[in-house]
Amino acid sequence: MSVEGQSASGPQESSPQVAHATVPTPRRAVVVGGNRIPFARSGGAYTKSSNQDMLTAALDGLIARFGLQDERIGEVAAGAVLKHSRDFNLTREAVLGSALSAETPAYDVQQACATGLETVLGLANKIKLRQIDSAIAGGVDSASDAPIAVSEGLRQVLLDLNRAKTLPQRLQVISRLRPRDLAPDAPNTGEPRTGLSMGEHQALTTAQWGITRDAQDQLAFASHRNLAAAYDAGFFDDLLTPYRGLTRDSNLRADTTLEKLATLKPVFGRNLGAEATMTAGNSTPLTDGASTVLLAAEEWADAHDLPKLAAVVDGEAAAVDFVHGKDGLLMAPAFAVPRLLARNGLSLADFDFYEIHEAFAGTVLSTLAAWEDEEFGRTRLGLDGAFGSIDRAKLNVNGSSLAAGHPFAATGGRIVASLAKMLHAKGAVEGRPARGLISICAAGGQGVVAILEAL
Amino acid sequence: MTTIQPVILGEMPSLSKLYINAAAQAARRRMLGSNDAPDLPDARHEVRGVAADVGNLTAYQHLIGETASDVLPAGFIHALAFPLAMSVMSRDDFPLPLLGMVHLSNHIEQSSAVLFTEQLDITAHVENLRGHRSGTQVDVVADVRAAGTAIIRWRGVSTYLAKGVFLPGIDKPSPTGGRTDFKAPYPTALWQLGVDTGRAYAAVSGDFNPIHLSVLSAKALGMRRSIAHGMYLASRALADVGAVKGDSFSWHVDFEAPVFLPGRVALDISTVQLPGGPWRESDFVAWNPRSGRRHFAGTVAAL
Repeated sequence: MSVEGQSASGPQESSPQVAHATVPTPRRAVVVGGNRIPFARSGGAYTKSSNQDMLTAALDGLIARFGLQDERIGEVAAGAVLKHSRDFNLTREAVLGSALSAETPAYDVQQACATGLETVLGLANKIKLRQIDSAIAGGVDSASDAPIAVSEGLRQVLLDLNRAKTLPQRLQVISRLRPRDLAPDAPNTGEPRTGLSMGEHQALTTAQWGITRDAQDQLAFASHRNLAAAYDAGFFDDLLTPYRGLTRDSNLRADTTLEKLATLKPVFGRNLGAEATMTAGNSTPLTDGASTVLLAAEEWADAHDLPKLAAVVDGEAAAVDFVHGKDGLLMAPAFAVPRLLARNGLSLADFDFYEIHEAFAGTVLSTLAAWEDEEFGRTRLGLDGAFGSIDRAKLNVNGSSLAAGHPFAATGGRIVASLAKMLHAKGAVEGRPARGLISICAAGGQGVVAILEAL
Repeated sequence: MTTIQPVILGEMPSLSKLYINAAAQAARRRMLGSNDAPDLPDARHEVRGVAADVGNLTAYQHLIGETASDVLPAGFIHALAFPLAMSVMSRDDFPLPLLGMVHLSNHIEQSSAVLFTEQLDITAHVENLRGHRSGTQVDVVADVRAAGTAIIRWRGVSTYLAKGVFLPGIDKPSPTGGRTDFKAPYPTALWQLGVDTGRAYAAVSGDFNPIHLSVLSAKALGMRRSIAHGMYLASRALADVGAVKGDSFSWHVDFEAPVFLPGRVALDISTVQLPGGPWRESDFVAWNPRSGRRHFAGTVAAL
């Protein structure tokens, strides 16, 4: 057995030795590429695969694609929304099970559906600050293999039993058990403070913004049509590795029609008094899957002879006070994007691609409606009028979550890798690099948004 | 005004004994005829040096949806003082039958945070006997002070109705227009209340009134099914209003249709706050999402 030491040299210094207590000049962080496994509807092809299994599969595909075997990556960050407490080191365990060097450090992130994008932004910042040269961001979720907890009654008995010292004490603790304590506690998508499910929350927002059933079905139809076309064009050939027999996202209905979507019965917002418009067709299904993104400093990508698709320009998080209905649960990006664009001196029209995560068709359309609303712009965003509108032909052009499915923490990585590839292919527009906007809403009234730019 | 010396009880009275006494009193009054003097007793009952049990406090906070902080929730203090309030209503010279009284409304004013480590002196009395279109109503007032001090930190006024009881000399109020029509707004929360909701609140509040415990015990008292404690519902609404209310606030609730268990309750909380200004108040209203009937409504306001 040979024992090698770990190289003591840190990130490559391209600038002269920095003086004590000065901040190093930030540098660019780039997206090299990505890899995910096809997303599967829950209870489907990945039913028995754990979060760690799927994250490792996505990671190993990335390693194979970019020749990262035995490579010591600066840091790997990933996460899962539905996570078992035993998976406290989920990402590190996936790294240990992968072909990466076992000396690659890793950490877990959990920010609901924004988890994946937040790992990208956090790691990109570390690269920009020269703390690391390379990084892998990712996310995974399984709605099939979800953790199930014991009831609160049984949990308290088990904990007290562990603390009891004598037999009479133990018997006294056990005597507290009731039959109903044996029923398990399954996770749900309800907001803890309101008891409303995410779909019910969105139904309130959808009604508030007057989004029609037809507009939602149109968006869902476009998502399926665009994703199917992207698969047919081979767009995902270098973004995806097959897993468990799947080569495409199993939720994709290439042959769906507006007529079929129009026949589905509403599932959310049936008790609101307003017309219920949200169906299983214009809402994302529970999904299993994993995604990864390789990030690097330009020097590192060049030294490894790897592509540089796009730069991670900037990101912004926002949160709304949804608990008492001041804003809709999933409306935080409506506030995050104007702040992000103001900081970067951009307007909403200055983008070539818009990737707005389709948690529900109503979410995308409510966000766009808010941006187009004069009063919202004035009273809530502090602008002179409406924030702006987008060219809908540039929205989710290769499909999004309504068609692909939405394994919560894996969605950010899917979008970043796809957008980086689209931007690189587009190259320059009117003498400037092609630009893309990402917007992801998350539970707890949160949202994370980001700007990517072609290289 | 003459000051009446309080009746000092050695310890907090037992609610279960009070309920049994109330049943005995009801039987006695049925046989002997009821007290025909429509006067309220002047007596004040007081217990000194009351301390909250921290385990019970934690269980209460978790059940209601409060963070388990060291501050006693305003509804917890209500539960702490409740047996003393009951002891005044179960006096022989109290003119209304204790069993079957309906909690109409509750008003609490709290001037500062009360910590679980504090010893408290609690006083209760009844006042304001008056008519109601379907019976007679009365206010039960509880005052809470830090032990040995005079400043009231928490005051609760609970209004109860003795349904169908009309006392001589007390007139029905003239009808003040019908009930306002209620149109349910969009909810900000939806509560799923299990059949054991009443038992769970009884365990943390000590209020084992049979109408809350089970279908059978509720039916024995003429209810269709068991119903949720009003103060459980109001306390959840207070918890939902959240930290914005600070340590000094008033909290008012009017109860309407009872919440049968199991059941779903829709809630709307709307905040009154001038742009850029401090929080003024949060109004809450709860209703049955299926029938649209209003269960309760109220306000939490800055003092």
